[in-house]
Amino acid sequence: MSETRHDTSAACVRFELELQAYMEGENRPLVLAHTRECAFCRVVVEDLEGLRAAARALPLEEPTRVVWSNIRAQLAAEGAFAEKASLWNWFNRLDFLRRPVPVAAFAGMVILGCLLTAPRDYPEQDFNSALAAPAVRTAVGSMGFMADSEALERAVRELEEAFRAREGALAPDVKATYENSLLSLDASIRECSDSLQREPGNSMAHEYLLAAYSQKAEVLSSALEFDEGR
Amino acid sequence: MSQPKTSAPKAASETQLIARAQRGDEEAFAALFEMHKRRVYSLCLRMTGNTAEAEDLTQEAFLQLFRKISTFRGESAFSTWLHRLAVNVVLMHLRKKGLQQVSLDDVDTSQDEPVKRDYGDHDRRLLGSVDRISLSRAIAGLPPGYRTVFVLHDVEGYEHNEIAEIMNCSVGNSKSQLHKARMKLRDWLRQNQGLTAPGEPVTSEPAPTER
Repeated sequence: MSETRHDTSAACVRFELELQAYMEGENRPLVLAHTRECAFCRVVVEDLEGLRAAARALPLEEPTRVVWSNIRAQLAAEGAFAEKASLWNWFNRLDFLRRPVPVAAFAGMVILGCLLTAPRDYPEQDFNSALAAPAVRTAVGSMGFMADSEALERAVRELEEAFRAREGALAPDVKATYENSLLSLDASIRECSDSLQREPGNSMAHEYLLAAYSQKAEVLSSALEFDEGR
Repeated sequence: MSQPKTSAPKAASETQLIARAQRGDEEAFAALFEMHKRRVYSLCLRMTGNTAEAEDLTQEAFLQLFRKISTFRGESAFSTWLHRLAVNVVLMHLRKKGLQQVSLDDVDTSQDEPVKRDYGDHDRRLLGSVDRISLSRAIAGLPPGYRTVFVLHDVEGYEHNEIAEIMNCSVGNSKSQLHKARMKLRDWLRQNQGLTAPGEPVTSEPAPTER
């Protein structure tokens, strides 16, 4: 049952003039009245309404995984991600370990650190049995740590002396860069040391102090390697 | 623009993710991407009609978003901010390509004239539900200016005043372009798919889960 269109009436032309406004939700009685009389124009309205509904119902599309991979890679390259504070990341920062010159110095420091942190003949067992109070154990641990940090300080001081002996050979701008880094690290070391003086059991200060010494060792080793490579 | 309904926990979760992303948390970036990737990609795809370009633009939109995320203070909905940013990225791309063949900046002098339509030689309407593939193809085939207005209004749900602001044109112009776009789509679809007689039942697509 399909009619064939032969002509367009004046009413159809008026319908067309008002169709846009009708589709925008305006009150256009002429459009409604005309669609009741003209099958051809009624189909236009039905089609447009169907199109509008179909457009709203279009499903969402899924991008390929490459999109996130690219975004992630770009953000990582821009340094947008905060580093997670893992031991592995901390270790990775010590990239000077891959260079030959400072390895001996750093290895010596690590060995020294291991020796100092290994179980000692502190009369801790006696303390534990006789003086089991946590405060006493903390004090003993702090004494051990202070011995460790003093040893680390000595090891770093030796690297620093080697650096000072050679710093004259460095270009002024390179030297200034290293000096700035060392000043900043020295400030951190002082801050942590002061905190530990006030609060010997402060484990965070302990951790930061070790990290500061490690970073200082890294900077000094890098400077020595730089000098070596000239 | 109509916003998808979000439950309070989801909104809270998004707020937390934004805060974490502002601190550089990679997992939060990934989660925000997962939440919004389909909507942004679909927008880019429908505005360009090309999957490769759509992926590039999705990537660019999210990169811009993540670079600016520290400036987001929550005055507007995050999704609104993101979608507006994505629209701007696509429009910039189209302008660079010189594809703005139907410029909305031009004064439309034909608003009062009837839109020429294909009367056809019969009184049958478009097959009940316009299938999604045909409609997607038809949208992709529209001139960019018509396509942009149609996608923003009929697909994305932007209002004419918002489109006018985005496209730097008048509200009347936006309405006129939309009507022309719909008529062009109808003509194309009538020529390319089956028709059904008035009065036959119309089956509709199930509503998408996200919109």
